[in-house]
Amino acid sequence: MSSRVSIDFEVDGVRRSEEIAPNTVLLDLLRDRHALTGVKASCERGVCGACTILVDGTPAASCGVFAFSVDGAAVETIDGQGREGGLGPVQRAFAECGGFQCGYCTPGMVMLTTALLRAHPEPDDERIRSWISSNVCRCTGYQMIVDSVRRAAELSREEQP
Amino acid sequence: MTNQPAAVGTSARRHDAAAKVTGGALYTADVRLPGMLHAKVLRSPHAHARLRSVDATRARALAGVHAVLTRDELAGLSPTYGYFIKDQPVVAMDKVRYVGDVVAAVAAEDEATALRALELIDVVYEPLPDVPDVTAALAEDAPELFEEAPPGIVPPYGTGASGHLRPRRNVCYEFRYATGPADVWQECDHVFEDTFAFSRMNHFHLEPFVTVADVRGEQIEIWSSTQNPFPLRKELARVLRVGENRIRVHVPYVGGGFGAKHNCKTEPIAILLSRMAGRPVRYCLTTEEGFLTLSQHAAVLKVKTGVKADGTFVARESEVLLDAGAYSDGSPLVAEKAAYRMPGPYRWTHVKSSCACVMTTTTPAGPFRGFGATQSTWAGESQVDMIARRLGMDPYELRIKNLKRLGEPFVPGESGIDSDLAEGLDTVAGELGYHRRARTPNRGMGLAIGFKDGGGVNKPAQARVKVTANGAVYVNSGTVEIGQGASTTLCQVAAEVLGVPLEQVAYAPINTDVTPFDQGTNASSGMTVMGRAVLRAAEAVRAQVLEFAARQLGCEATALTLENWAVRRGDEAPTPLPGLIMKVFGGTGYEFSGEGFFKAPNSPEAPLDAPCVFWEIGWAGAEVEVDPDTGKVTVLQLVASGDVGKAINKLVCRGQDEGAAVMGLGQALFEEMRYDGSALLNGEALDYRVPMAEDLPERFVSVTQEQGHGPGPFGAKGAGEGAMVPVAAAIANAVHDATGVRVTALPLSPERVFNALHRR
Repeated sequence: MSSRVSIDFEVDGVRRSEEIAPNTVLLDLLRDRHALTGVKASCERGVCGACTILVDGTPAASCGVFAFSVDGAAVETIDGQGREGGLGPVQRAFAECGGFQCGYCTPGMVMLTTALLRAHPEPDDERIRSWISSNVCRCTGYQMIVDSVRRAAELSREEQP
Repeated sequence: MTNQPAAVGTSARRHDAAAKVTGGALYTADVRLPGMLHAKVLRSPHAHARLRSVDATRARALAGVHAVLTRDELAGLSPTYGYFIKDQPVVAMDKVRYVGDVVAAVAAEDEATALRALELIDVVYEPLPDVPDVTAALAEDAPELFEEAPPGIVPPYGTGASGHLRPRRNVCYEFRYATGPADVWQECDHVFEDTFAFSRMNHFHLEPFVTVADVRGEQIEIWSSTQNPFPLRKELARVLRVGENRIRVHVPYVGGGFGAKHNCKTEPIAILLSRMAGRPVRYCLTTEEGFLTLSQHAAVLKVKTGVKADGTFVARESEVLLDAGAYSDGSPLVAEKAAYRMPGPYRWTHVKSSCACVMTTTTPAGPFRGFGATQSTWAGESQVDMIARRLGMDPYELRIKNLKRLGEPFVPGESGIDSDLAEGLDTVAGELGYHRRARTPNRGMGLAIGFKDGGGVNKPAQARVKVTANGAVYVNSGTVEIGQGASTTLCQVAAEVLGVPLEQVAYAPINTDVTPFDQGTNASSGMTVMGRAVLRAAEAVRAQVLEFAARQLGCEATALTLENWAVRRGDEAPTPLPGLIMKVFGGTGYEFSGEGFFKAPNSPEAPLDAPCVFWEIGWAGAEVEVDPDTGKVTVLQLVASGDVGKAINKLVCRGQDEGAAVMGLGQALFEEMRYDGSALLNGEALDYRVPMAEDLPERFVSVTQEQGHGPGPFGAKGAGEGAMVPVAAAIANAVHDATGVRVTALPLSPERVFNALHRR
């Protein structure tokens, strides 16, 4: 693995150009090089979704994405979800509704919710359940996450000008 | 006491909310130290084998490798660990006893190098016959997993209870309990004997087992994802033969545990490698390795129950066999509870229970949410329904007839039941619509009551509450924030006592050098044990502050009240405390500090050495539809309820009950570690199915009861396990109601239900 490849991509709105080994996994690049430890590593098999990020707006398990493949893409992580001086609407909703316990799945759930609300600003419970079924939460039993997503939809709509 | 809005009984936002929703929360898995190395281990491919030789010469020579640990590096240590029985080696010594047993460990510049080094370790195994399950392990000619007895202890027990080390081949421990005259069997009109099988789950905590160790000279410092830092410290000190004050354990946020993260897991290897390499070492397991580290106990449960013709319960005898896996871990403690909880919430004249931990060549089993009660309730509550149907009674009526009353002792020498059991059952039955259910083919409803003693056995907890001159409060306790919300609720207790807003109270990080002692974050003990220690510490601080203010103001402390960090005498204007304090202690400030302690008093009459702190009851009701062509069970409704006595934080309580209930749903329907002989077939996230949001029943309701009888602060009880315990039995009872067929083994997979339907 002596060869290196160059990638040019955006992370949370900041453009980055860097040299990486071709077998670098995006999860490791974000956590180890960029210290974005809010992107959680868990199953590393693309199942649990703790490492969910958005690539050009689409949710992806960053443990299953080669870093070279995001060349030219915009990557969004939990780190970019805040707002000036505090929490973003999705984050506020999860905090308010208690849609987290140990917190390990929470960044992934927040990213999933962000993508869901962009695609469907007023999702019904069935759609919410269907979307968040791509990530595992072992603590909450999900209903309080469903409540959080519903509340996030309200807060996100309020935020629109 | 105060004009503040009460800090207790609210749905206050959790203290850890901002850190967790921003991804800023630090877990052990996120800890990075300068110069840190990475560890990986070599695991046995054999279920049972003698180790002929372990040669790491080639691995040591690989560039980037800094330390290799094999059995040759264990000199000067007490190299085995465990709870009651010290049988698990840091790395394999004479034998390996399951696929995945750790043989050697490497610390290298990165994980990839460590993995390459493992391939260069030459091991010669001499395979031995395996013992994949309890039947094989108990066979007369079964190979012994331990030819010699590992060191072990039996803790003190009270009336009726006893523990036995190695009572027979491949059994590491047996617990027995009996009370009441055995001759009552003659008075029974019916005696029913049934056998149940319980499958094992993986904890599947999302944060893996992980430790970062930094050994510098004599000082050992670790960051670890653990539920019990103090007992861990003690065990590490014993293994390493150093003083406990040489080991400092930090516990950042823990990404789930569910019982798995107790005592030695990744810690000994991380420490030994760091000591050898002279550099910090991070040892983080993969999810696949988690499946090879600890599991719940599979069990076979034989239950014999004698009743009168009118349904009055008379006697229950039970024999439980737990599959303990290859090492004892917490199995003896789980055995205590699986046997002791077998009577359930009912009144009996005679009880006799035993539970044996059977060693097999599979993943070691240990503590898991429910801790033996999930197993005993599965059998006990399934059988109650079977008996009701045999007697032609409604299972609800049979339960109501035999439930213990509020305050009635569980068994002689025990504390009284601190919930109205019938009230709880009525709550769930009402929410489910049990009494007005229509008779629809293939649809049915079932109820069950989960029952366990809560608060741990003989469990001490200490806490410290400090207040600065400006009224900023610290709660210092060893209760780990593992997701359950204790870092918020314990602060709510202190805020209530001190009359300050909750935002002014911080939960201090855990560092065993300075944090007061605690036995561990388990047994749903956070509020009823540690909560009482925190309450007392806060009361001690309040007394100090009031006495101090009284001296300054020239009055009696009893004449003063504390609110918003000011003292008030009668109707006078409040006197702010900061000025008063700095006038005496100087402008640099001062801290008031109070200590609190709680432990249930010991009692020789109590079977488990001290009476139970509180009784954790979970009520569940389910409505199911069974597809007769496929055996698929669809849960239409799931109602789960715990009695928290008094909810310190309503959101937190709801979250505990719902999370527990859904874990029970997974146990009931599909979650299972599947073995082919001693080989685990589904030990990874892709093949091992945990509940997802799409698995939620169409109607899922949790009810937080606040019956007000709890022993904790403000009448609180504990939560976290109760609502998991009855779910599997409630669903099996609903399947029975729907189809007339009883399934006695878990999970209730389509295949198993189909086969049961077509045997009738």
